[in-house]
Amino acid sequence: MHQPAWKRWLQQNLGFASALLLLAAIYLLYNMLHPRGFSSAVAVQNANETAAIAFVAMAQTIPVLAGGLDLSVGAVMTLTSCIASVLVNGSPAEIVFGMIATLLSGTAFGLANGLIVVYGRIQPIIATLATGAIAIGLALLVRPKPGGDVDGDLGWALTNSVWDFADTYGLADGGDAWWLRPFADIPVPLIIVLLVTALVWVPFRRSVTGRTVYAIGSAEGAAFMSGLPIARAKIAAFTLGGFFAACGGLYLAIQTSSGNADLQQAGAYTLNSIAAVVLGGTSLLGGVGGAVASLVGAAILRVISFYFRILDIDPLLQPLIEGLVLLVAVSFGAIRTLRVKNKLDLFR
Amino acid sequence: MRRLLQFTTAIGALALSAQLALAGPAVVSGPGADPACFAPWSADTKYMQWEAKPGPYKIAIVNGFVGNTWRIQMIKTAKAFAEDPAIKDKIKEFKVVSTGTDAPAQLGAIEDFINQGFDAIVTIAVSPDGFDRVIRLADKNNVVIVPFDNVLDTDAVMQVNEDQLAMGRTWAEFVLKELKAQGKTSGKVLEVRGLPGNSVDRDRSIGINDTLKASGGNWEVVQVVGNWDDGTAQKVTADAIAVHGKFDAILAQGGTTGVVQAMIDAKHPMVPIAGESENGFRKLVAKHSGEGLKGISIGQSPGLVAIAMKAAVAALEGQVMPQLISVPLPVATYDQLKDGENFWSDLPDNFFTVNEFPPCGVNVSGPAIMSKSEEDVK
Repeated sequence: MHQPAWKRWLQQNLGFASALLLLAAIYLLYNMLHPRGFSSAVAVQNANETAAIAFVAMAQTIPVLAGGLDLSVGAVMTLTSCIASVLVNGSPAEIVFGMIATLLSGTAFGLANGLIVVYGRIQPIIATLATGAIAIGLALLVRPKPGGDVDGDLGWALTNSVWDFADTYGLADGGDAWWLRPFADIPVPLIIVLLVTALVWVPFRRSVTGRTVYAIGSAEGAAFMSGLPIARAKIAAFTLGGFFAACGGLYLAIQTSSGNADLQQAGAYTLNSIAAVVLGGTSLLGGVGGAVASLVGAAILRVISFYFRILDIDPLLQPLIEGLVLLVAVSFGAIRTLRVKNKLDLFR
Repeated sequence: MRRLLQFTTAIGALALSAQLALAGPAVVSGPGADPACFAPWSADTKYMQWEAKPGPYKIAIVNGFVGNTWRIQMIKTAKAFAEDPAIKDKIKEFKVVSTGTDAPAQLGAIEDFINQGFDAIVTIAVSPDGFDRVIRLADKNNVVIVPFDNVLDTDAVMQVNEDQLAMGRTWAEFVLKELKAQGKTSGKVLEVRGLPGNSVDRDRSIGINDTLKASGGNWEVVQVVGNWDDGTAQKVTADAIAVHGKFDAILAQGGTTGVVQAMIDAKHPMVPIAGESENGFRKLVAKHSGEGLKGISIGQSPGLVAIAMKAAVAALEGQVMPQLISVPLPVATYDQLKDGENFWSDLPDNFFTVNEFPPCGVNVSGPAIMSKSEEDVK
């Protein structure tokens, strides 16, 4: 029964692999149909639009892996973007302090979520429904009316290509240094998302706590009997979720150079984050999937809506079509049900 | 692939540096073109002028939230107006997208249309802030962005709206006039407000209350919140009538069909009323005005989109435009109502009646919009 490693990986990650394939296919086609496809400007625009939802999808993934849902991710993103809209301006030191404070506030909110779920023994879905409302309330306190004054240079630098980033801050000969050439066209938001993933998610996944999150989602009883740190892992899952949501909020504030305690937007982001998680191939029952998969899921979600701008589709039919495409895309993840040998497998 | 990217950036950088020279609109002195239609907001409103581009143009509508009657009617109006002979030849390509209440998606859609080489982008902003980046990009690429209805807190773009303060004032002035004709110069009036926290609700209410105060009469104003929604407005009006018994007049910001329905249900005497432009409200006023339901109907018209499109085309043609355009209020009083002209007894109650702006040559009538939808269903 020896199999090549890639084949084994494929069998274990069928949902993720099909999502990746789907993304590659639809994004390639999008660029071919776009009048300025395959250009840096289009990539920058796409990355900008996707960054916030990508972070929020990652935030949702970790509680989902542990078998819970976090209904507060969109609200925490909104709260942190409002905080950032107040703090991220002034001198460079003040800006850095504001960014750190924003990330910490989201992380603290996630920690509170985790503590309530673990020590309050409340179902995650109910606990986070309540804390989500609290987050919106706090956001309204911080920013009763939309507005704010996030540093304009920072906003411009972080929402463009690497060249513009260097140009704004006068780094690497204003972006023209030879060694920057190969990277000059890459959108900065893409780099930020990938960097956060590599520096936070990957080490977490490899740690005992991270693996315990997966174990809880697969079989909490078995994980407990094996002596795994269940309470710690659950708290860590929600805390990390809060951190990722704060990353999304910070980026949103920088991108819009303002904050807006918008209840509807928070709700939309929470729902879209769940959709992105499922699209990426993470099981809502927990134990299967990962944050990288949700990144792909979030990207698919966005690319579907990109199509409405290049194709001629009746505007009132767009939500219907978007829903149908989503349903089809999610069904890809369910393909494994067609090839199970034993019906009992489905209960996994 | 990388070489291709580098190549396009090089071209992009070149184009960018070339375009920087002619970045965005110039601030010029008035008066602007067609002042009957594109009226400046106030005497302080500045004027803008873009470099004239040869037509026909590519125009996109980036809507936010979709899902209430007003927005759906707005989209249908935009489509109907794009086919109007007055503007059809000036439009090469016309696209409409709705992004939901998601700021990055709306900003992304606007940026995408700039990238695709569209000439003008008409939008209802989901947030009054946060458009700095796309405005910067639009200016670099000489694209005209026209927010309307929910406008931005900036004077860097050309915007189109109705004066909500004036709307509140006109409502109150009409009601005061009708009450005076009855010999009343003081009394109790009901004000049905809109969505709390919204600038439109705030301005309309200020207009109403300032005018009542300025009249010198002793007016007791009872405020309830109706959310501009028929169901909510009907419920809160019924509650207010139950508590207060009788009002001398009613001023409703929206959901006016529900307000009148509540009056009828409670057998409240028919009194002067000010309200929005719902077809149902106008139907009821036409039917009951003889019994005392002397009404005025003014609306935030979904037809604003047509004015915004017209303004975008005018700006692209290089005409001098006011930065903030005040669209004349579409007013109809009970003695001006005419079935088939400014209300339609065969159209649904929640249809917004005002869609025609004669000074602007915008004449998209109710049935024209409704028939547009039937074509689409086929």
